[in-house]
This record gives sequence, C-alpha cells and structure tokens, in this order.
Amino acid sequence: MSRRIVVTGIGMVTSVGIGRRAAWQALLAGRRGTSTVESFDTSRHPVHQGGEIKGFRPDDHLKRLVPAQIGRASQLGAAAARLALSDAGLDPEALDPARAGVAMGTTSGEPQEVERLDDALVAEDLAQAGHGFVRRYPCHLIAAHVAAEVGFAGVNAMIPTACAAGNYALAYAYDALVNDRAELMLAGGADCFSRITYTGFARLGAIAPDVCRPFDKNRQGMIPGEGAAVLVLEPLDRALARGVEPIAEVAGYGLSCDAHHMTAAHPEGEGAARAMERALRMAGLAPEDVSYVSAHGTGTPTNDRLESIAVKRVFGERSPRVPMSSIKSMLGHTMGAASAIEAAVCALAVAEDRVPPTIHFEEPDPECDVDCVPNEAREMPVAVAMNNAYAFGGNNASTVMIKWRP
Amino acid sequence: MAALNASRRRVVVTARGLVSPLGDTPGAFAAALEEGRSGLGPSALATWNGCAAVVAGEVWGFAPETYFGDRNVRPLDRTSRLAAAAAGLALAEAGLAQVESRTQPVGLVLGTQFGSLKTIAEFDRRGLTAGPNYVKPLDFANSVINAPAGQTAIWHGLVGLNSTMAGGATAGLAAIGHATDLIRGGHAEALLAGGAEELSPEAGLTYGRAGLLAAAGSSPVPFGAGRRGFALGEGAALVLLEELEGARARGASLFGEVVGHASAFDPSMGQDPWSAASALGRAVRAAFADAGLGPGDLGAVVTGGSGSLELDLAEALGLASSLEEAAEAVPATAIKGALGEAFGASGGFQALALLEILSSGRLPGIGGLGEPEPGLALSLSNRPRAVNARTVLATALGLDGHAAALILTRSDAA
Repeated sequence: MSRRIVVTGIGMVTSVGIGRRAAWQALLAGRRGTSTVESFDTSRHPVHQGGEIKGFRPDDHLKRLVPAQIGRASQLGAAAARLALSDAGLDPEALDPARAGVAMGTTSGEPQEVERLDDALVAEDLAQAGHGFVRRYPCHLIAAHVAAEVGFAGVNAMIPTACAAGNYALAYAYDALVNDRAELMLAGGADCFSRITYTGFARLGAIAPDVCRPFDKNRQGMIPGEGAAVLVLEPLDRALARGVEPIAEVAGYGLSCDAHHMTAAHPEGEGAARAMERALRMAGLAPEDVSYVSAHGTGTPTNDRLESIAVKRVFGERSPRVPMSSIKSMLGHTMGAASAIEAAVCALAVAEDRVPPTIHFEEPDPECDVDCVPNEAREMPVAVAMNNAYAFGGNNASTVMIKWRP
Repeated sequence: MAALNASRRRVVVTARGLVSPLGDTPGAFAAALEEGRSGLGPSALATWNGCAAVVAGEVWGFAPETYFGDRNVRPLDRTSRLAAAAAGLALAEAGLAQVESRTQPVGLVLGTQFGSLKTIAEFDRRGLTAGPNYVKPLDFANSVINAPAGQTAIWHGLVGLNSTMAGGATAGLAAIGHATDLIRGGHAEALLAGGAEELSPEAGLTYGRAGLLAAAGSSPVPFGAGRRGFALGEGAALVLLEELEGARARGASLFGEVVGHASAFDPSMGQDPWSAASALGRAVRAAFADAGLGPGDLGAVVTGGSGSLELDLAEALGLASSLEEAAEAVPATAIKGALGEAFGASGGFQALALLEILSSGRLPGIGGLGEPEPGLALSLSNRPRAVNARTVLATALGLDGHAAALILTRSDAA
C-alpha cells in the first residue's frame, strides 16, 4: 500500500483575492478579476484586457527575501508559499529543512527580465543591458526563491511545462513524498503578467476583447492573467500525528503528450483523454466516480470544443451531466499558475462540497455539451474532483483530489 | 528507502544520443575527452554583435540535415534541433527510430535552463521594433520553455509522458532522476532523459556581465588554483531509460543501470559556500541511500566542476564531506573545462561520460590542470586514468543553490 498524500494548506495569490479564504470566497461569488491592462502600454494591441493582480504588495508576505531583488513571479510564488504554510498551521522554522522540498511550475519564469534586457538592447544602450539578468531570469529561481523564503533545503524542482505546469509540479511533489524523498512538499505554480505573453496571445488572435466566457457559444478567447498557488502536501500519517484535519487527499495524476502540434490540441482530444484516464486509473477510480471537473476551459473557441470532445471520450453519455466549470472565466488564464490554483479549487471543492461557477455564461454551444456550472456556485456532494490542464507542446496533465476519510 | 529497493522496478540505460562540441557519437565524445581535447573556441553564436568574441563550447558546424534529411526543420529553433537530433540518435541506437517499431510508447523528460532564450528575446524585440502585429506566431509557440521537449515529441512521435525540468547546471541530472522515478513508479516504460541547451548572444552577453566567465583568452580549468570562471557551452545529450525486464524482453543493449539519484537545495542560494557544499553533500548521501550503496562502492566521479570560483570550491567541499575517506581515494574528474557549462545539456554529457567510464574503465583527465586549488580533498589529475569502476557518480551544483547527484552501475550488475 502506497503512502497516502494529503493537502493540508493552501496559499493563493489571485486577481480576485489573496489568501485561501479571500480567493475561494471570491471565486464562489463569481467575481471577475480581469480588467484593463495597466502594467504596460497596450495601445498598439487590438485588445486591452488582462488579469493583473493590482493590489499585490510583496512586503506584506515576504519575511526573508527582499522583493526588489527578485522577479515578480518569484514574489507571487513566495507569497503563496508563506500563505500556504500559515494556512497549514506550520512554522517553517520548526521543520527539518533537509526533508522539506519545493516543486513549482511555470510557463515563462521571469519574462519581465527579458523585457528589461530587450528594452536596453533596442535602445542600443549596451552598457546598461543585461546587468543582474542571470541572477534574476532563469525560471528555476521561482522554486529557489520559494525555498529560500521559507528555508527549505530538500528536493527543489522547477517544471516549466507551460500551462499544465502546476499539475506537473503537484505530480512531482506527490512522487517525492511517496518515494520518501521528502516529508513535506510545497507544490504549486507561478507566472507574472508579461508583455511577451500578452503580445504572443494577441498575435494568435486568442485574446477576448472584453471578458472570458468559457463554453459559451459566443466566446471570443482567453485573457492572459497572473497569479500563484502553493499547496502544502504531506503524508497522511504525518498530518494526523500533528493533529491536522486534511483538506483533501491527492489520489492520482495522469500525464500525456499529444506529439501532434505545438499550439493546437489533438483534434479528437486524444492526449487529453489519456491524461484523464491515467489519473483515474492511478486513483483506482472509474469515470462515474468523478463528481466535479475543473476544466482547462480557456475560453478560446478551439480549446473548449476539443476539451468537450475529450471529456466525452472519458465520461461517455454522462459527460453533459458532469459539473465542469472554468475559473478562467474569472481570473483569465494565469498560465503556469492556472492548474495550481485549479488544484487548490478542487481540494476546497471536496472539502466543502461546493464548486465555483463559470461566469459570463449566456448562450450554450452545441459543440460544448457540458454542464459548466453557469454563473452561480453550486452546493453539491463532491467526493472526487478532477483537474485538467493542457499546454503548448502538447503537454497534458490531470490530477485527482478526493474527499479525505480516515 | 532501502526497504523499498527489493521490490522496486529497475531502470537501465538502453541507448544514448548526443550532439556536442566534441562530436555526435559516444565514441568520438569519449575519445576527445580521453585525449584532453577542448571543444571551446571563439563562438559567433554566443557573441552579441559588436562585442568581443565569447569563448564557448559550440556544437561546431551543426548541420540539421545530417540528422533530419530533407524534413522541414524551420519550425524548430536551435535548442529544439539539438534536442531532436540527440533524440533521433538515441532512438536509432535503440532500434526504435520508427514509431511502428515501438511496442511501448516512448516519452521524454528534458532538462533545460532556457529553452531558447534567443527565441524569446528576439520575439520580444520584434514586437518592440516592428510592432506587436509583426511578431511571428511560430516564435511565440517556441517561446515556452517546454518547446524543445514538445517539438522533439512531435518530430519523433514520442506520445509517452513528456516533461521538462529546469534547474540550471542540475537540470539534466534532475531530468534523468525524475525519469527514473517515473519508470520505477510504473508511470512509464521507456523515457528519453537528459538535456539540451543552445548558445545565444543573449547568454554570452548576460553571463559576461555577471563576471562569471573565464576571461577572454584564458581557458576554464575546473578546480584549478588560478581559475577565473567558466565558459558557456551547448548541445544535447539523452539516454534512453527503460524498465529492466521490458528492456531484456526486447533484447535491448544494457549500457548501465540507474541505481540512485537525489537532489537538494541550498537556501542561501550560493551566497554561503558552506551551505552550498552541504546541499551537494546531502544530495550525494541521499543518492547513495537510494542506491543502497555507500562511498566505499564508488569507482569514479564526474563532478560538475566548471572553473567557477565559488561553485568548484563548494562542490569539492560537499564531495569531501559526503564521500568521507573515499573522497581522496576515488578518482574524480570534470568535463566542463572541455565542453563549457551547457546547463541542461551538461547533465546529459555527464551521464554519457559515466557510461563510457563504465564500459572502458578509463577516466578522462582535467585538461590544463596544473596546480589544483590547495586543500581540496579530491583525487584529481590532468591525465586520463584507469579506474576499476563498477559504480560511478555524477554531481552538479547550480549557481542558485540547486544540487543533484546521479549514480550508475555497470550493466552486468543488472
């Protein structure tokens, strides 16, 4: 019997709220976090909406690291880590640092550092270009800064598998605990708002002009966002020994690759379905056991249609009746943080028997025959929650949270 | 951990593939290291226009058509081409180049620091200069750090599990370790693992700015008393890892077994050399525990020594503390003086060096090493040595506190 791994703490830094309670309440309330972009000039872009976190003050959260010395994604991630440890009732100073590890996911790492480099290069200001870059840019700094902030000296993994990275990090942390490479893991994802990301999605024509409306017939695209989430994972026996009630149990994960196209998903949802099936098999569950699905649900015409096909492959005739919402309707697409935030949502859904809605939903799309929990949160029994994430490069990852029972 | 060892699935290396500054076959690579040849030189790829030439370990004359025939490689940037070339060579050695020849899906766990920094930065600069409507969608697709792994999967039909590990100089070893755990845990049967990295003017410029590179005209000498810094490198190196029974069943060649690996972190992020040394030492000890072996079993070490002032010292201290009395007895070397620090690719290069040592019993020397840094409790030489190596160790320490260790044994142990 493999070790059981549970979630005992959650930290979220999102555009609708900072901290587990604030973010979760806002998501249940269906609050929109996207707004007009302020961090850079979008006047040459055809679109102007983004999911920036406008009230984030890193000084409120960081105790060791100096915010000015680290990139914004690191700030978001390290703040989420502090919040998660506090939520878990853990004093990091009281842990064995060598047995406490970190696994983080990201899409872009610290892209604002490339932007700063490029600003100097384009200005032909070579003397100013690139100072401090190598100590601020490489994406592994996010996991490093999380660990340095809380003093963790164990396993430290940075998994840049783009928009599925949070789920990959969760899977990595789960294995690190099952294999006894650590006794406590922080797992999550972080990405910051960036000109590079925004320009790329705008050029692909993927950004909605107003709001993100996943699964709606009139959906016009995704909205780039930013954020971070960190989950505290530990073996069940350890959590119980310190008298803590787990939030949820991590039951399994499934990873797969389309090997089909860099930016387009497989036309029959083949890889996405395989990831879901693997996660269920590892969890020892059947599709009919799933109570809720946190959709990748970016709000692009293609993603939501193909994801609907993929869930139909897995859930069959039941698929239109499986509640499957997308919080990207509220936060936009927070990139590598997205599936970490959504994993937190799945853990809270099984803990509280409530699921957040897909907001901005008006008109059903016959090509998206799913119950997207339109506009209003739902109270319902949630025994099993599945979290789907798909990324550039054909990287698919699903994770499964189940209600914790002794 | 030892209790798990009896029943767990065993992971073996069944093929290798690399493109490096010292050749694109394991034999050529090993011969160059044995002869003490350097793969470094003035690299236009690593030099920003108008700046002094950066000395680096370039994959000289890399010609994609050698590996890809007339298939259109335009969608792949240099990192992806290097990764796909190494993957193709490994699959060919395994007899699995054709998708139809595979009885199990093959996946990929790729270590890389940057993906392609050049792709990302050029995409951004084009947006600044020409305007956001003139950036190229393909460049954006390739700007994600997992693009080389994704492109390699598309190129070779790798429908198995696909992941990317970052972590600077430790990324390649971390990728091999992660892939090992995924196979042990039954999540995959066959995974290519290792790393890829490209040289770029952006990397040459920014590492130069940081004062981390050996001065122009001087060669990096790992562990040398007068070392001044490292050189950048590039390339790709992958091993095909398979579950032992499956590999035997298909009659695969067995080049070695991955028996142990581990990683650790220095929360001072390299600011305190003792803390960095401690992280390296913990990674080594945990890798031995994973392997159910001890320093007394060790035949040779391929360190991550690069010529870095701080990291070479911390790595030597960490090795000395974790190997205890074996540290001064077990022959150790470093290959980054000849190859440069190729970040993601470095761990793959180190793994290939370990496999060559297991098969040949020859440990390359450290080219140009005169006087080692005084007080290092390691057995270092500037000449190749015969070693009785049944068990070999690779280690790496990154600039930002990451430490990793990998232990392989000879395949007749399998």
